[in-house]
Amino acid sequence: MSLRAKSLKPFALIAPAVLLLGVFLVLPYINIVVMSLRNPGSGTPYAPGFTLSNYLRLFADSFYLEQTANTLMIGFITTFACLLLGFPVAWQLAKTQMRFRGLAYGLVLSPLLVGIVIRSYGWTILLGNNGMINRTLISFGLIDRPLGLMYNSLGIVIALVHVFLPFMILPLMSALQGIDPSIEAAARSLGAGRVTAFRRIILPLAMPGIQAGCILVFVLSLSAYVTPSLIGGLRVKTMAVSVVDALVDTFQWPFGSAMALMLSLTGAMMVLLFARLTRMKWKAN
Amino acid sequence: MTEVSIETLTKHYGASLAVNGISVKIAKGEFISLLGPSGCGKTTTLKMIAGFEDATSGAIRFDGQDVVHVPAEKRDIGMVFQNYALFPHMTVAQNLAFGLEMRRRPKREIAERTARVLDMVQLSGYADRYPRQLSGGQQQRVALARALVIEPRILLLDEPLANLDAKLREEMRVFIRDLQKRVGITTVYVTHDQAEAMTMSDRVVVMFGGQIAQYGPPADIYDRPASLEVAQFVGQVNILSGRLLSTEVNDISVIDTALGTARIGNMPRSADGAVTLVLRPEAVELFPESAGQTGVSATITASYYSGSLIDYRLALDSGDIINVQTFPRSRFSPGDRVTVKVDGDRFWALGAAA
Amino acid sequence: MFRHLLTSYCLMIYAFLLLPILVVVGASFNAGAFLTFPPQGLSFRWYVVFFHNEVFLSAIKTSLWVAAVSTVISSIIGTMAAIFYVQHAGRWKESIRLAMLLPLLLPEVLTAISLLFFVYSIGMGTRTIAAMIIGHCLITLPFVFINVSAAMESYDPAWSLAAKSLGAGPLTRFRRIMLPLIKPGVIGGCLFAFIISFDTFTISFMLKNVGTATLPIQLYDYLRTNFTPEAAAVSTVSIVLTLFVVVLSEKLLGLRIHRF
Repeated sequence: MSLRAKSLKPFALIAPAVLLLGVFLVLPYINIVVMSLRNPGSGTPYAPGFTLSNYLRLFADSFYLEQTANTLMIGFITTFACLLLGFPVAWQLAKTQMRFRGLAYGLVLSPLLVGIVIRSYGWTILLGNNGMINRTLISFGLIDRPLGLMYNSLGIVIALVHVFLPFMILPLMSALQGIDPSIEAAARSLGAGRVTAFRRIILPLAMPGIQAGCILVFVLSLSAYVTPSLIGGLRVKTMAVSVVDALVDTFQWPFGSAMALMLSLTGAMMVLLFARLTRMKWKAN
Repeated sequence: MTEVSIETLTKHYGASLAVNGISVKIAKGEFISLLGPSGCGKTTTLKMIAGFEDATSGAIRFDGQDVVHVPAEKRDIGMVFQNYALFPHMTVAQNLAFGLEMRRRPKREIAERTARVLDMVQLSGYADRYPRQLSGGQQQRVALARALVIEPRILLLDEPLANLDAKLREEMRVFIRDLQKRVGITTVYVTHDQAEAMTMSDRVVVMFGGQIAQYGPPADIYDRPASLEVAQFVGQVNILSGRLLSTEVNDISVIDTALGTARIGNMPRSADGAVTLVLRPEAVELFPESAGQTGVSATITASYYSGSLIDYRLALDSGDIINVQTFPRSRFSPGDRVTVKVDGDRFWALGAAA
Repeated sequence: MFRHLLTSYCLMIYAFLLLPILVVVGASFNAGAFLTFPPQGLSFRWYVVFFHNEVFLSAIKTSLWVAAVSTVISSIIGTMAAIFYVQHAGRWKESIRLAMLLPLLLPEVLTAISLLFFVYSIGMGTRTIAAMIIGHCLITLPFVFINVSAAMESYDPAWSLAAKSLGAGPLTRFRRIMLPLIKPGVIGGCLFAFIISFDTFTISFMLKNVGTATLPIQLYDYLRTNFTPEAAAVSTVSIVLTLFVVVLSEKLLGLRIHRF
C-alpha cells in the first residue's frame, strides 16, 4: 500500500461521526438561521422571500421582551440556587475516599436515570395547591392558605433546580477533587483562618468548576422545555415553550426560528459576559 | 537464524532527518546493540526494522529479501517493548499463546512450546498468573518469552531494562545474553546505557544524530574510538594535546604529551604536528611522590570512593586536569602529591586507523 | 460538629433529589382515583389499568426499540470516533472533542427544531421514524464518545504494536486486544446512550411521525389532560425498566472489570 493511502486509513474511523454531525447537525443549524429570515406563511409553514420582520417582531412586542426577561431571570435564579445548594454537597463528596467515589458519582447521577417527564410530573404532584407540600404544611398548621407554587415562575425554578442540581454538583466535585489537600493545610499553617483559607485559596482554585457548572446549568435552564411546560402550564411560558408553541401549534416556522435563535444568542451573550466577569475578577485578586 | 542487512536506510519526519542513510550488516545469530543518546535515531531504526515505521528510503533485507514494504505483522519478528506491553486481560500462558495462534498452530503444539519457553525463562508455574500479579523482572521475562516462543527470524529489544532497578538490570543483562546465545537468534538491542551495550553485544553500533559514528566489537569502540564524541559517550575519557616528536619503524609515531610519551601506530598526518589524544582513566597508575617512581608529578584535587573503585581528579604540575580511576589499593586524599605513570601504548589518537 | 452538619445537609439535598421520584412511585399505588400523596389506601389497580392500556404498552415498546437502534448506531460511530480521537487526532484533538460534544452543548430544543426543518427541506420529513432515530443518535453520541475515549486514554498503544509484532492483522488486533480492554467504556457508553434515549422528550416530540409515540411523549400527552394515578403507574414501570437495564449491565460490566 502506498504511503499516502496508509496515512489516510485512520480517517475512516472519524468519517461516520463527521458525516452524522455535519449533515444532521451543522446543516440543520445553518438551515434554521436561513429559516428565521424567511417570510411567514399563512396556511403553510413559510412563504417565499426573505425578511427581518421576525426578529423585529420579537423586539417590538413587549410580550416577548417580558418573556425573554422572565426566562433569563429564571435561568439566573436557578443557576444561583444550584450553586449555593450544590457547593456543600460537592465539597462533601469531593472529600470522600477513593473507593467510595464511584458510589458518590452514582448517587449524584441517579436522579438522572429517571426521565424528565416523570420527574416534572412528580413536581406537579408536589407543588399544586392541593399538592403534597401544601397539604403537609397546612396539616402541620404552618400555613393557613396554600402557597402558590404551581403555574408560576417560582414553581418552575424549584423544579429546574431539582433537575439541574447534578449538573452543578459534578463539575464542582471534579474541580474540588483536583485541589491538593495539602494546599489548604499550608494556608492554615501560615496563619489563615478557615474562612480566609476558603475565600483566598479554595474558591479561586475551584473557580473553573464553578464556571463550568454555572454555564452548564444556565444554558440548560434557558432551553428547558418539558419542566416549564408542565409546571408553568398556560399561565407562565418560558421562551422555549413559546418557541415550540409557535412551531407545533401555530406552524409559524420563521418566527419560531427567530425566537429560538434569539434565545440561544441571548444565552450565549450572558455566558460570555459571565466568563469575562469571573475571569477578570479573580485575576485582580 | 537470519542474516539482516540494512542498506542506506533513511527516515524523514517532515523536515527533520531522524535516520540518515545508515548501513549495517548483521550476521546470523549475532547480537548487536544500537547505542546512542536520546534522539540519535536508534529507536527509529529499530521501529523501521520491525515495520512500525516506514522508511523514507533504503532497504532492509532479511536473508537477502527486502522487507521494507512488508507489513509488520508479516515480518516474523519477535519484539520486546520497553514497558513490556503484556496484554493485561490475558494470563501469562495466553500472552505466550497469542503469537502462535496468529500462526495457526494446533493447541497441543502451543501448549508444548509455551511450557518449554516458560521453563527457559524460569517461570514455569506462572502460566495462569496475570501480568499485574508479576514483578517488573518477571514481566520482563514473560515479554522475552512471548517474543521467543514464536521462533522469529530476528529478536528486537527496545531498551527492555530501562524500567528495572540497578541490581535487577545487571542480572537481566546476563540472563538475556545467555538465553540469546543458547537460542542463537539474530538480535538487535537498543539502549542508551553503554555498559549494557558493551557487556552484551558481539558488536556495537554507536549512533549520533541519525548517523553511525562507529560500528565494531566493544573493545574497538572502547579502546579505539573513532571520534571524540564516541570516546566521550562510551565511558570516561581524558583528552590531551600532544606534539609529534618522531616516527619510528612500522609507522609508529612518538608523541610528547603532558603525561609522558605516547606511541601510536597508523596515525593520521597533521600539518603542524599537533595531535589530540584520548586516554582512559583506568590506564593510569598512581604512586605516592615519596615512592620515587619516574613519571609526571601531580596533586590530587578530589577523590570519589565507590566501593570497588576510586575516581580521582588530579592537577598536573603542567596545569592540565585529568581523571584517574584505580582500585582502592592505595588511597589518596585531596592535597596529596603523587607520581603519574602511563604506558605509552595506552594512548589513542582520534582518527587513527584501528 | 461542622462535619455532622455537612453530612445532614447532604442527606437533605439528596432527599430533595429523590423526592419527586418517590412521590410518583408512591402515588402509583393509590387506591383512590386522585393524584394525592400520601395515597389514600394502597392498591395495584392502576397497574392493572396500565397493562391493559394498549397506547402505553406500545409506547414502551417503541421507546425500547428506538433506544436499542440508536444505541447500536451511536456506539459504533462513537467508538470509532473515540479511537480516532485518542490515537490519531494530533493537533485536531480539541476541535474533535468539541465537535463530538456539540449535541450536548447545544440546546436540545434548538437541535430538535433545526433537524425538523432540515428533514422537511430534504424531502425526508417525519413520514418515517428515521428522523427521530437520527435525532436520538445525535444526542446519544456524546455519551458514547465520552465513555469510550476515557477508556481509550488508559489504553497503551504498545499493546496493539505487540500484537502486530506477533502477527495479528488490524481486525484481529481490534477484536482480541483493543475491544476487550476498552469494553467497560463501551458498555458504559451504551448504557448512558440507552437511558438517555429512553427518557428523552424534546427530540422525540419534535421528530415523531404520526402514529408512533415514545413513552415520554405518551406520558406528557396524558398528563396535560388526565389526573389519574395511571400515569404514575406507567412512570414507575419506566423507572423499574431503567433500573433493570442498569443492574443488568452492572452485572456484565462488573464481571468484565474484575477480569483484569
